[in-house]
Amino acid sequence: MNPIAERLLSRARAQGADAAEAYLSRGTEFTVKVFNGEIESLVSAASRGVGLRTFSEHRVGFAYTSDTDADALDALADEALRNGRYNHAEEANVLPEPEVIEELSGLYAPDLGSIDPQRKVEFALEMERVATSLDPRVRRVSDVVYSDGAGHVELANTRGLDVGFERTVAYGVIDAIAEQDSERQSGFAFTYSRDLDGLDLAGVAREAVDNAVGLLGGRRVRTARVPVVLHPDAGTMILGVMGSSFSGEAVLKRRSLLAGKLGQPVAAPAVTIVDDARLPGGLASRPFDGEGVPARRIELVKDGMLLGYLQNTYTARRSGGQSTGSAVRSYKSVPEVGVTNLVLQPGTQKRDDIIGRVDDGLHVEQLHGLNTVNPVSGEFSFGVSGHWIRDGRLAEPVREMTVAGNLIGVLKLIVGVADDLRFRFAGGFCGCPTVLIEELAIGGD
Amino acid sequence: MPLLDPSLADAVIRRALRSGADFAELFVERKRNQAVTVEESQVQRVSSGNDRGAGLRIIHGGVVSYIYTEDLSDTGLLKTAEVAASVGRRGGGRFALGQVVDTPHPPQEVELDPGGVDVEAKVELLLEADQAAREKGGEIRQVAVGYGESRQEVLVVNSEGVQHQDARTRVRLMVQAVAERNGEIQTAMEAPGAQRGFEFFDEASAAEYARMAAERALMLLDAAPSPAGTMPVVVGNEFGGVLFHEACGHGLEADFVSKGSTVFTGKVGQTVASPIVTAIDDGTLKARWGTLGVDDEGVPTRRTVLIQDGVLVSYMFDRLRAGQLAHPVTGNGRRQSYQHLPIPRMTNTFIAPGAHSVEDIIAATPRGLYARKLGAGQVDVVTGDFVFAVTEGYLIEAGRVGRLVRGATIVGNGPRALHRIDMVGNDLKLAPGTCGKDGQGVPVSVGQPTIRISELTVGGTGVVPAGAMRP
Repeated sequence: MNPIAERLLSRARAQGADAAEAYLSRGTEFTVKVFNGEIESLVSAASRGVGLRTFSEHRVGFAYTSDTDADALDALADEALRNGRYNHAEEANVLPEPEVIEELSGLYAPDLGSIDPQRKVEFALEMERVATSLDPRVRRVSDVVYSDGAGHVELANTRGLDVGFERTVAYGVIDAIAEQDSERQSGFAFTYSRDLDGLDLAGVAREAVDNAVGLLGGRRVRTARVPVVLHPDAGTMILGVMGSSFSGEAVLKRRSLLAGKLGQPVAAPAVTIVDDARLPGGLASRPFDGEGVPARRIELVKDGMLLGYLQNTYTARRSGGQSTGSAVRSYKSVPEVGVTNLVLQPGTQKRDDIIGRVDDGLHVEQLHGLNTVNPVSGEFSFGVSGHWIRDGRLAEPVREMTVAGNLIGVLKLIVGVADDLRFRFAGGFCGCPTVLIEELAIGGD
Repeated sequence: MPLLDPSLADAVIRRALRSGADFAELFVERKRNQAVTVEESQVQRVSSGNDRGAGLRIIHGGVVSYIYTEDLSDTGLLKTAEVAASVGRRGGGRFALGQVVDTPHPPQEVELDPGGVDVEAKVELLLEADQAAREKGGEIRQVAVGYGESRQEVLVVNSEGVQHQDARTRVRLMVQAVAERNGEIQTAMEAPGAQRGFEFFDEASAAEYARMAAERALMLLDAAPSPAGTMPVVVGNEFGGVLFHEACGHGLEADFVSKGSTVFTGKVGQTVASPIVTAIDDGTLKARWGTLGVDDEGVPTRRTVLIQDGVLVSYMFDRLRAGQLAHPVTGNGRRQSYQHLPIPRMTNTFIAPGAHSVEDIIAATPRGLYARKLGAGQVDVVTGDFVFAVTEGYLIEAGRVGRLVRGATIVGNGPRALHRIDMVGNDLKLAPGTCGKDGQGVPVSVGQPTIRISELTVGGTGVVPAGAMRP
């Protein structure tokens, strides 16, 4: 066991805790931002911290620190216990039964840290160079970033759990600016992998440029109710907002719009949603959750029916079920409930065929104001931009519009799911294909 | 206790300069926080944390390198300085930094250090609020109440001889009420806070805020869906300032300006707003959420007029961008923590009050939306396009406040909206918030009096004609 964890657990025990759990994390970060052919800034760091959870007569205490001197660790244990004294006691406050953790490969690229930083700098410079050479209307970027990191988690508790894993990630981000006459548009794209070599430089540059240029000349259209096609970049963001509704904690505390709907249809039959913590290539994949419960694949919605919620040990106990291995946390927080790789499963139709089904409608590419959604009522009204669909094809660009509805309403109105699954970070690591929504209210002139 | 021994800080700076860098700066931070949560009328959580670390920035030929660490021992920091000197990149360019002038303002005064207040008192405050919200009736199904405090101490030491400290103590209350009727759920929240000690709650009644949240959640159960379309919008002073913050404030931050990525680039001296609009960023206001003695580069904060009578006067600068654009510093170089580089950020930003009462403004509006309270929002800095949630909105009919509507958002373009402000009220109010940019969250205040924007797009699900229509 890590000596820091060992010291914390034994101190907690000595001070009267019935049980305790130490969560240690350490990581490295390398980030380079470039602008105009030069490095703008470069960040390189190693970081660490530890959180301690204590249990005394079913009262939970918690404290964290980034200071791992011996005195600070002893103070931390005392502080966690002191905090716990004020909490109300609940039978559900327990550590999980230790289980065997199955290995999960493919999370870690051992070479990432030893790659010459200059190669990473050059990758970023090349992203900018390519992005500004593809289209005469894109001469500038507002942001080009290469970043990578390695994270190491160790979790130990007084029930004998002592596990850990390591994960790496590398990504490149481009925010391009397209200009035409006096108009300007921004276009965002990113590429990700476990390793530098897995990044798609040409692809991300092309995409950022297309996204920026594609919206030039966009105009508002009339307020109406029309069929709406969601591009995966927009669909993943909506899915990310939905994510918190699957939380067993939100259900318990009546903050989920899916509360009380178990076994009922909450979406159209074409919709199946899973949270897959062991998804190959999923950036949120992990062998175990924030309490050391094995991570797995959970079917949340199958053919439109709500099959279950995500649970950690506490919420499972309270609702009479089993933990789904869905505890999420950092060393600065107690385990909450959250998604990992949240995926709306792809269908069989081609994207073009989905668009082909619409005579007059809106193809939504960018969503703004995700944080304006009311996660309890499910009501939303996003700012959107994209293209008008006319006679089954993308036509002129559209911007400064709103699209409004209710999240559940939207799920129920999905009448087409394409096969083009794409991922992005949106709360969790969310995957969604192109989907067709029968009708939504769009606001404009 | 000083955050760091001055001679150690000095040694770290000298070591970091060894590779020939032009500038080195050490930012040391210690932060303590505590949070208490009451849910289901019981204490759900008491937690606390200690963050302690340092970030070392070196600039060499215009290229910024940054390294941070939690190891504040002599050997740890000196090693960090070695690494910084070795990984640091050398740029070919010439650069200048905006100069640190003036003396720092003293930190905000705190009467009752929240860290010294018993947890019992905090719990009592929350239970009182919980009770007050639940007394609003059986349709209030869930109440979540939270208390948070933090004390952040920072030290900035640099190779120019600057050694400035600041301390920021903040307390905040959060109340969320959930109301339910016939399966329909509505929610409302209040989150007052200040840069003060626990004495803040002598004046700000937790129970009163809880009642306000509960009443609004209940009211929303009776609200009709918001109409969609383009109309005049009266934006109230309850967090309404978020509109200026997002839609214009970010565009006035000098990092966007120096890259030419905002619509306000090169527009100093030009008319960018209606002549009745004056906007200010002021990091010196007493006890406000975004107030600082010195910013996170050691620059004393000040009052900066951004827009005067519709004319753009100044951007907001950190030292690097002040140097790039040859402008005096404004004390807007901020960072979330020692793990982040300083960048230009707002402090307390607001539209200055005008002549009209709210009643005048409503009465002068035959038809439109009264967005009394705004919620979260977002903006695209490149285009200036924004979207905001209206958390309490009413229809305006024949110059009167009509029915409450729900689910409304307002969508528009910042620069255009500035020109379309045609009435400014006399009821300026500031509210606390956390502003996110480049993955960094910092505390700010947003503010404005009630204003009227002659035309904005309103999003909602109500009163929309059926059937597809051509653009």
